[in-house]
Amino acid sequence: MKLSLFRLKHYIDISLSPEELANALTMAGLEVEEIETIGKIPDGVIVAKIISRRKHENSDHLSICEVFTGSETLQIVCGAPNCDTGNIVPLATIGTVFRDGEGGTFTIKKGKIRGAESFGMMCSAKELGLSEDHKGLMLLPGTFEIGKPLQDYVPTDTVYTLEITPNRPDWLSYWGVARDIAALVGGELKFPAPENVPTELAGDWNNLVTVEAPDLCPLYTARVIRGVKVGESPAWLKGSLAAIGIRPINNIVDITNFVMMELGEPLHVFDMRFLKGDRIVVRRAADGEAITALDGKTYDLTSNDLVIADTEKPVAIAGVMGGEYSGVVNDTTDVVLESAWFDPASVRATSRRLGLSSEASYRFERGADRAMIVPASNRAAQLILELAGGRLVSNLVSVAEPAPAARIIDMKYDRVRSLLGMDVGNRRIDEILHSLGFDTVRQSETGASFSVPTWRELDVMGSADLAEEVARIHGLDKLPDVPIKATQSDISRDDILKLTHLREEFVAVGLCEIVSNSMMSEASAIRGGIFEPADLIRPSNPISLDLAVMRPSLLPCLLDAVRYNIARKNYDLGFFEIGHVFCANQEKYPEERDEIGIAITGCAHPERYSKERSAQYDFFDLKGILESVLNVRRIASFSFVPAKDPRFAPTCCAELIIDGKKAGILGQAAPELTKGMRLNTPLFIALIQLDAIFGAREKSLYYSPISQFPSVSRDIAFIAPAKLQNQDVIDFIRKQHLPFLESVSIFDVFEGKAIGEGRKSLAYSLVFRSPDRTLTDEEVNVAYEKIRKALADGLKVELR
Amino acid sequence: MLEELLQQLQAIAGDAKTALAAAATPADIEAVKNRTLGRNGAVTALSPMMGKLPNEDKRAAGMAFNEAKQAIQAALNEASARINAKAAEEAPAVDVTLPGRQWPFGRRHPISQTIDACCSIFRRMGFIAVTGPEIETVWHNFDALNAPLNHPSRDPQDTFYLPDGRLLRTQTSAVQIRTMLGSKPPVRIVSPGRCFRRDTPDATHGVHFHQLEGLYIDRDVSLADLKSTILKFAKEYFGTDVKIRMRPHFFPFTEPSVECDFSCVMCGGKGCRVCKNSGWLEIMGAGMVNPAVLRNVGYNPDEVQGFAFGFGLERLTMLKHRINDLRIFSDNDLRFLKQF
Repeated sequence: MKLSLFRLKHYIDISLSPEELANALTMAGLEVEEIETIGKIPDGVIVAKIISRRKHENSDHLSICEVFTGSETLQIVCGAPNCDTGNIVPLATIGTVFRDGEGGTFTIKKGKIRGAESFGMMCSAKELGLSEDHKGLMLLPGTFEIGKPLQDYVPTDTVYTLEITPNRPDWLSYWGVARDIAALVGGELKFPAPENVPTELAGDWNNLVTVEAPDLCPLYTARVIRGVKVGESPAWLKGSLAAIGIRPINNIVDITNFVMMELGEPLHVFDMRFLKGDRIVVRRAADGEAITALDGKTYDLTSNDLVIADTEKPVAIAGVMGGEYSGVVNDTTDVVLESAWFDPASVRATSRRLGLSSEASYRFERGADRAMIVPASNRAAQLILELAGGRLVSNLVSVAEPAPAARIIDMKYDRVRSLLGMDVGNRRIDEILHSLGFDTVRQSETGASFSVPTWRELDVMGSADLAEEVARIHGLDKLPDVPIKATQSDISRDDILKLTHLREEFVAVGLCEIVSNSMMSEASAIRGGIFEPADLIRPSNPISLDLAVMRPSLLPCLLDAVRYNIARKNYDLGFFEIGHVFCANQEKYPEERDEIGIAITGCAHPERYSKERSAQYDFFDLKGILESVLNVRRIASFSFVPAKDPRFAPTCCAELIIDGKKAGILGQAAPELTKGMRLNTPLFIALIQLDAIFGAREKSLYYSPISQFPSVSRDIAFIAPAKLQNQDVIDFIRKQHLPFLESVSIFDVFEGKAIGEGRKSLAYSLVFRSPDRTLTDEEVNVAYEKIRKALADGLKVELR
Repeated sequence: MLEELLQQLQAIAGDAKTALAAAATPADIEAVKNRTLGRNGAVTALSPMMGKLPNEDKRAAGMAFNEAKQAIQAALNEASARINAKAAEEAPAVDVTLPGRQWPFGRRHPISQTIDACCSIFRRMGFIAVTGPEIETVWHNFDALNAPLNHPSRDPQDTFYLPDGRLLRTQTSAVQIRTMLGSKPPVRIVSPGRCFRRDTPDATHGVHFHQLEGLYIDRDVSLADLKSTILKFAKEYFGTDVKIRMRPHFFPFTEPSVECDFSCVMCGGKGCRVCKNSGWLEIMGAGMVNPAVLRNVGYNPDEVQGFAFGFGLERLTMLKHRINDLRIFSDNDLRFLKQF
């Protein structure tokens, strides 16, 4: 909302500068978003008089004028149609600097226009930024002294753009803002509405208004004014509306807008000719009724909508918009002035349902001030009589439910101080609340009861609200710095700390974290064949088909990130993400769970050189990343077993098993998933359930004694069928229960022509150690021979 | 005889020193060693003379032998040190300018780093960080937070709903509700996480964003405590020069409500494009938890009170790293990620 400071000063004395006032308002919760100066005329623009005009020889539309500046006569070439001799006009003299809208400037220079010299520019009102009028030169009254700067006669004004919070409809007017300024910085308030308006009673208006829906309209007032003359508003009225962005229309409409801005109460004026039966009926619309509103559109109404009707038809959508065929037009003479209070929820519902809002509905749905209904009517009637003539032929016709009693709030002073943590005395609290219209109705030593003023009745509900008023006016800048209090916090309940540690572990093994969208297209979500359309969680109101479903897995996100990077020639990628994924089918997965996704492709160490540089990520890098993390987390029991999954290449896929349960899957991405990605290297993906890691059993906290005695190691190499898996060999060796066998590990795998088709060479290192003595070679050799024989017999391998 | 022996020893030692001074290779040194101290060397060859000396001269001769041997040995050592040093100097050195064999760390996504940075600051002030589901009930997301039934944020225009009437959370305040329902005061938590709003994606809006909300409920937590907490956070996150100011505002969730501005981190408060020349940046909404909210979770507002605050993590990250388009966060371009 915009307010003009010039206008605001009509309602309160203000001694602060425009900037100081803006700051005071902002710090009191009425945020000034923008301060604009209007009416600023460039230096060098003076009042001048045209003393002669002749046609320019070389132009159809240009004139050559002689213009008197008070000290000299200048020749000016002018294209305006009204540069007639005798007119007093603004003249921008040589050197005047104008600003254009985009921050640029241009300077008036001596020039030659089609051969005729010109020593300045006569201006339209638009060129001076004073109005939109560009039809011709701005004509100045004869009272302006020739030669004086025009600015001497044109006041500048400051226009504030305010952000009004939805709880403060009372700030949607000059009066409401003035009232808060008075509380904030003092200053005498000047209420603009008269107590009475001169009336020349004529006719019986007792039946003018019938309210059939008092629940939605507990207060309706009307006045009849006859003989008005619709016309242009005076400059001050047009100017005060234009300054805050309201387009002047005609004097009657302008007055209603002006009073709405002045007092916050939206008004409406009907042309009596269009009120059938000279009656106003406030009622719910009949289902199927329709109205063409002032915007020219026709709206279908329902019985939930409140309308203002005559005896036949709706003439306005109550509190939202007038009807097209009942408002003031140029030949209107007799009018009914409406000032009423409509139920906020009803106005909001109708406005929302019809998709139709207005300055009036904006105010009514936030809650207008009941107590301002009559003053606003008085003020508008006064202005109509003054500016449009006519006679007020009715008293205020008012149909009103009993006004609700003011809300009373009990407040404890200590409670206010405790809530704010601010040392503010009882008397200061009283003084602030009184200045804002809260009256003390009861007083005790520790507390008081305050009545809530009508303009705050929808906002102020309890003592916390009163505390806010105290803080607001006393000043939040007076809040003291206090030491941070200590509390006992159970850090084991910190969810983020756990995630941070895990994320840092993935970072430590070289992966970059990505953060992807939660929403995607259905096609992306079901790629890979694990999830079906029915498994997907879908918002009912997606923003687009590309963002229609919630991700069921991080797989599509990883693929997107890889695709995006490959397309930008970032070929060497190691990514991980931890995030929520969603599933509608609880037989497959819980509705919402955390998944860890990893994707690696390209070279593992592009920052190295020689051979190491070209080493490409393979399955064992991916597996090794997981092993590293699981090991550093001291997870007691995990293994990788061969698996088949449509998302992975059939030859390269494993399940991660933790504590005997499936914890995730990893492998080389299936070719169908990477189609079209222009990958130069295979892509490896892991998808792990976060719960399986956080819930995994950890190794014992107790330490194992370290042997003081030396170890003895022996190597075994053999040729085995290609299908024999490492884990089978290790399990087999372990099963032999060799005495003193401390560890067994593979140190070489070789396949090739020398070994023969379908075969491979494996080599293992066995380490023996005793906790309490040095082993002899003989003891170790016995074990070694035993294992060689067992391997040859049991696994049918060819010992080398 | 003694005299002769001493002269010979001196001569041998002198020759050896001269020869060693000129030695250029380890072989030269070896040759000098062999012809002096070696099995057939000149010093060794003189030793039989010892036996022929009168007893009273033997001691002096012994000493002379030792001196000669030591002198030669010292010269040998010196020469070999000199040659080794020269050889070492001339040997081809390891090219230490070649790249080291790194085990490069990955990087945390900047949003994730911001979450951690914020949580760790608040953690030091006694807040623990808790998370919650992204699919929420209307009650947890709106009703319990005192959002009026007609509040625009509830509109399907702004909020994603599921067919069963639940929604994608629009703020992480729902986590505060869950926490309060599940525990008695004091409660001191922050809840970072992903939220959803039905915004058309552009440079400053996405369908998801990340938010961090804080909540502190105890017997006597005040607005002044809120200010001190936020000030401490601001200084730790943006540096000690940062100032804050609180302005009254309106949120259904809090009463009194404030908006908290930080002095502009771009211009230091002098005024610039980013702060629209105001010198201040709107960073967070905050306030004292509305008694209605406390009642909704079964707390007695006459016994406990507290503050809540919330802010967007994208905005904080963008300010910290001078990022001007938030779409870059979900592109996940490696060249972007590696900058953090």
